[in-house]
Amino acid sequence: MSKIGVFICHCGENINATVDCARVAKTAGELEGVEYSIDYKYMCSDPGQTLIKQAIKEKGLTGVVVGSCSPRMHEPTFRKACQEAGLNPFMCEMANLREHCSWVHDKNEATTQKAIDLVRTLVEKVKLNKPLYSIKVPVTKTALVIGGGIAGIQASLDIANAGHQVILVEKDPSIGGHMSQLSETFPTLDCSQCILTPRMVEVAQHPNIKLLTYAELEKLEGSIGNFKATIRKKAKSIDENLCNGCGTCTTKCPTKKIPSEFNTGLGTRTAIYVPFPQAVPNKPVIDKENCSYYQKGKCKVCEKVCPTGAIRFDQEDELVEIEVGAVVIATGFNIMQPSEFPEYGYGKYKDVITGLQFERLASASGPTLGEIRRPSDGKIPEKIVFVACAGSRDPAKGIPYCSKICCMYTAKHAMLYQHKVHHGKSYIFYMDIRAAGKNYEEFVRRAIVDDEVNYIRGRVSKIYEENGKLIVRGVDTLLNAKPVEIEADMVVLASAAIANPGAEELAQKMHVSYDSYHFFSEAHPKLKPVETNTAGIFLAGACQAPKDIPETVSQASGAASKAIILFSKDELSRDPLIAVVNRSPAPVFSTCVGCFMCASACPYQAIGEELITNRQGKVIKKVAKVNPGLCQGCGTCVAFCRSKSIDIQGYSNEQMCAEVVALLNND
Amino acid sequence: MNELIKKAVALLESDSVQVIIGYAEGTGTRTRAIFITRTADCENLIFDSRCVQNLAVYLTKSEIKKLGKPAIVAPIPVLRSILQLAVENQITENDLVVLGITPQSELVDFESFAAIEAFLSTHQIVIEEKYQETIREIKAMPVTERFAYWVKELEPCFKCYACRAACPLCYCTRCTVDNNQPQWISVASHPLGNLEWHIMRAMHLAGRCTDCEACYNACPMSIPIHLLTKNMLQDVTENFGTYGPSLDKLNTLSSFKPDDKESFIR
Amino acid sequence: MTEFEPKIIAFVCNWCTYAGADLTGTSRIKYAQNVKIVRFPCTGRIDFMLLLKSFGEGADGIIVSGCHPNDCHYTSGNFHARRRWIMFRGLLDMLGIDVRRIQYSWVSAAEGAKWADIVNSTVNTIRELGPYTEYEKVAGYLEKEAKQ
Ligand SMILES: Cc1cc2nc3c(=O)[nH]c(=O)nc-3n(C[C@H](O)[C@H](O)[C@H](O)COP(=O)(O)OP(=O)(O)OC[C@H]3O[C@@H](n4cnc5c(N)ncnc54)[C@H](O)[C@@H]3O)c2cc1C
Ligand code: SF4
Ligand code: SF4
Ligand code: SF4
Ligand code: SF4
Repeated sequence: MSKIGVFICHCGENINATVDCARVAKTAGELEGVEYSIDYKYMCSDPGQTLIKQAIKEKGLTGVVVGSCSPRMHEPTFRKACQEAGLNPFMCEMANLREHCSWVHDKNEATTQKAIDLVRTLVEKVKLNKPLYSIKVPVTKTALVIGGGIAGIQASLDIANAGHQVILVEKDPSIGGHMSQLSETFPTLDCSQCILTPRMVEVAQHPNIKLLTYAELEKLEGSIGNFKATIRKKAKSIDENLCNGCGTCTTKCPTKKIPSEFNTGLGTRTAIYVPFPQAVPNKPVIDKENCSYYQKGKCKVCEKVCPTGAIRFDQEDELVEIEVGAVVIATGFNIMQPSEFPEYGYGKYKDVITGLQFERLASASGPTLGEIRRPSDGKIPEKIVFVACAGSRDPAKGIPYCSKICCMYTAKHAMLYQHKVHHGKSYIFYMDIRAAGKNYEEFVRRAIVDDEVNYIRGRVSKIYEENGKLIVRGVDTLLNAKPVEIEADMVVLASAAIANPGAEELAQKMHVSYDSYHFFSEAHPKLKPVETNTAGIFLAGACQAPKDIPETVSQASGAASKAIILFSKDELSRDPLIAVVNRSPAPVFSTCVGCFMCASACPYQAIGEELITNRQGKVIKKVAKVNPGLCQGCGTCVAFCRSKSIDIQGYSNEQMCAEVVALLNND
Repeated sequence: MNELIKKAVALLESDSVQVIIGYAEGTGTRTRAIFITRTADCENLIFDSRCVQNLAVYLTKSEIKKLGKPAIVAPIPVLRSILQLAVENQITENDLVVLGITPQSELVDFESFAAIEAFLSTHQIVIEEKYQETIREIKAMPVTERFAYWVKELEPCFKCYACRAACPLCYCTRCTVDNNQPQWISVASHPLGNLEWHIMRAMHLAGRCTDCEACYNACPMSIPIHLLTKNMLQDVTENFGTYGPSLDKLNTLSSFKPDDKESFIR
Repeated sequence: MTEFEPKIIAFVCNWCTYAGADLTGTSRIKYAQNVKIVRFPCTGRIDFMLLLKSFGEGADGIIVSGCHPNDCHYTSGNFHARRRWIMFRGLLDMLGIDVRRIQYSWVSAAEGAKWADIVNSTVNTIRELGPYTEYEKVAGYLEKEAKQ
């Protein structure tokens, strides 16, 4: 039998001014199953809470209804009070008599009647409440970081420095990402390699970090606290333990004409290669697609010259399984191939290049050793045109969003050019200058004022070659759309930042959502920017949206701290307001018929299957099972289940039905 | 249908299946479902235009499952049900042999459920014009008249649940009407109970019903409950694009598009 | 004769509309007393059977409200709910159950004024439509008698 206590709060005069609180308490006291009811000036005050606690103890209450303010305000307060008096906190419910009643109605009979209705409804609900206990999930204190750009590096170091294990998986032969390709970085113009390399080395040497390069995620199972990841370690064709990184093989390899990815095609590399001198790890891999031995069955020069005998042509991909408690996705971004814009002549004219290629030209370790020389003939360009928004903010042909980094790096490029070619002239075609960041506007001003970069507001309509010059045609919208034509020696396109190819596939492997541009989606655009909608999986860097380095690093540290918070306890404790699939004795086992409509509707992939076997181990039934680590308690599944086999604790079918019946039957 | 009989014999003889679910002569001019476990009985198998019962309903029945792996005689409506049952994880390719029958009464083998889907893509569900007309007429009634019409139509229902038993997609082990915690639906067959039962039944078939009419054919009182499901089918098509069971599409109601259109939410 | 006071039940999600209705309160915007709220975690949880039950229990009108599309606390509960509402509404309409008696809406946690407006306009609509006597006749029924 229920023994419910009803506690009506006056909230000073906030409720009592329009609701006759004493009468609400009195009427509630007459309801079936109500053992005790009282009204009081401030229920949330210490004496008010004591009133509740005493009643629980003295009257042996089995449930409590507090009629006061919104549960969004004080539900935790009253649940805690109940707990302190020895009543399960989930046996307490609140009727919203202030926000939903006294504050929105005038003082009259109907208002008091509504308050009574609301209280009665919750009394009927609480009679069906069941004691609930927080869910405990053990936590594996190892993090998987996917992607070794600056985002992945930062997140790995933070988590490792907090004393936890990290497995960093990078698909390329070296970590570093795009930042390792950059020359100098805005807004300070410090050398990218100089600030990045020490961090890369720290990763390699950190006792808590296990680095797996040339590796990719194959599969991810499990849930927050307990994921199981399968990593494919692609065959490098070398024995990493034997190789000492001497580099003899890479100098002797006869296949030398392969465009270097690191130098964005502006330089070449060999078939056995280290992508760049500062690579971490500094050991080569064989690019099977271009290796003469793999392609034609002849060569093996590297094997002959290797002093340690480290070359392994028969090496195969290896799958390793690891257990982790959290995942940080840091797979970064890509740039749009400007060949999609034929009017700019990229691909047709050698001296039309992308911003990333310009970074390589301006980099001291690049193919020109940092001198700005144009690709076609190696001459120093006297006049250079930069085209901002090449693809960005162009819903018709490119992408509708702003790539965010281009305004800044284009200003940087023009500046770097002016610093290196003092007599040169630089022009930037732009739509708007977006320089919202610390010291960013000042940086752009410096380009305009100190370095005399010519900013032209307008779009470029065509680029073509004439008499060895690149003719750039556009308009200047600030001068009444006056046509402009510039005879340039080189053109740099700030091509749009886009999601990585394969991001969609990766997202599906991990069950995280992605937006229409294939960037990974955060769980909440404002309040959960580093979480994904799958608990335990976090986002860092440009894989979520285009970002510059400072923003990338802050998000990476944010993601790391989320993982560290998760690892700060041995067990995860979660609210028990989650779904459960019913179970019953044999031969029924569950009324669930295994249609898995619920599973396809669940926004969190929280529903899996359970095989029910007989004594001989034969599967006799396949039913749904909710993973308490993943379920967020939305109840979407419940409304789908035709056989009413899945229900949600705290908002169960019985409870909701009782509320409907009680609310509508007041006469 | 000698070919069908030959095939059935072969399947049983080779022990590829243990039971054949098919049609046989019934009383009078009617046909009935037959479950053959011995080769000698295969000669009773028939197939002609009178064979309209949806045999797919037996695939999920535990008594039939006990007999072993089945082969099922499957004209188009049965094929549709099979596909929908596959989408809903009730049957798997390995546990079933499908003896498809084309509208020209030819026997076809299906290697996989995907092959059934490919075949069905050329046989889309169409709501016959006469039904469309009836639905239009009902919808043209003023709302109170329409309500009265249905209350009256549903009045003879005495909740025998023959419609439920005949529907291949009503395979739940415990139907919501039989659930009394809470009591979702008034059990008695008074107007409210009947109305609630039929709303529930129709909603549970929303986006799933394959328009086989088995429910209507089974109803001893000939209550036009198929009009409700047909109307829903039209609604599905109108709101979410063409409908037909499909292996790689999620159920209409357990999936969504962020830009689904509606005109009534404020 | 006393004026007809519609009985209206509101099914709302915890994160948007319930919070929005809280804001109506904190902003002291007045509305009619006829509407009473039942709190759900998400519109995705709102079973059509509960709407049906409400009419059976004597509701004259129903409000169903949750987060705007793309704002669902659980990312997609409201998208699922919307599909279900589309189908349910079509079915009720076919059966001659007056769909004007169910008001669906999106009310965010910031739309306190909109909530008051939804409540008041729904109360007005139902007042105009009058008590749901046709349904009551069907429902007014053996059980109520049995109860007494
Ligand atoms: C031309 C240009 C100039 C720029 N200049 C500046 C500047 O001056 N200042 C500034 O602040 N920012 C600048 N940026 C922006 C800067 O490059 C980014 O902010 C930064 O690189 C983002 O780091 P990230 O780690 O998120 O991504 P990335 O650098 O893209 O790193 C991602 C890493 O993940 C790896 N990866 C990808 N997919 C997988 C997978 N499936 N499995 C495993 N590993 C994977 C990649 O190989 C890569 O190593 C510039 C960008 C461009 C294009
Ligand atoms: S719980 Fe319900 S919806 Fe989910 S698989 Fe079981 S029967 Fe289907
Ligand atoms: S309550 Fe929501 S999150 Fe939990 S299993 Fe059901 S649909 Fe998934
Ligand atoms: S027509 Fe009737 S029997 Fe056939 S699937 Fe639809 S509801 Fe079931
Ligand atoms: S078969 Fe006919 S009478 Fe029987 S429950 Fe169904 S509709 Fe009612």
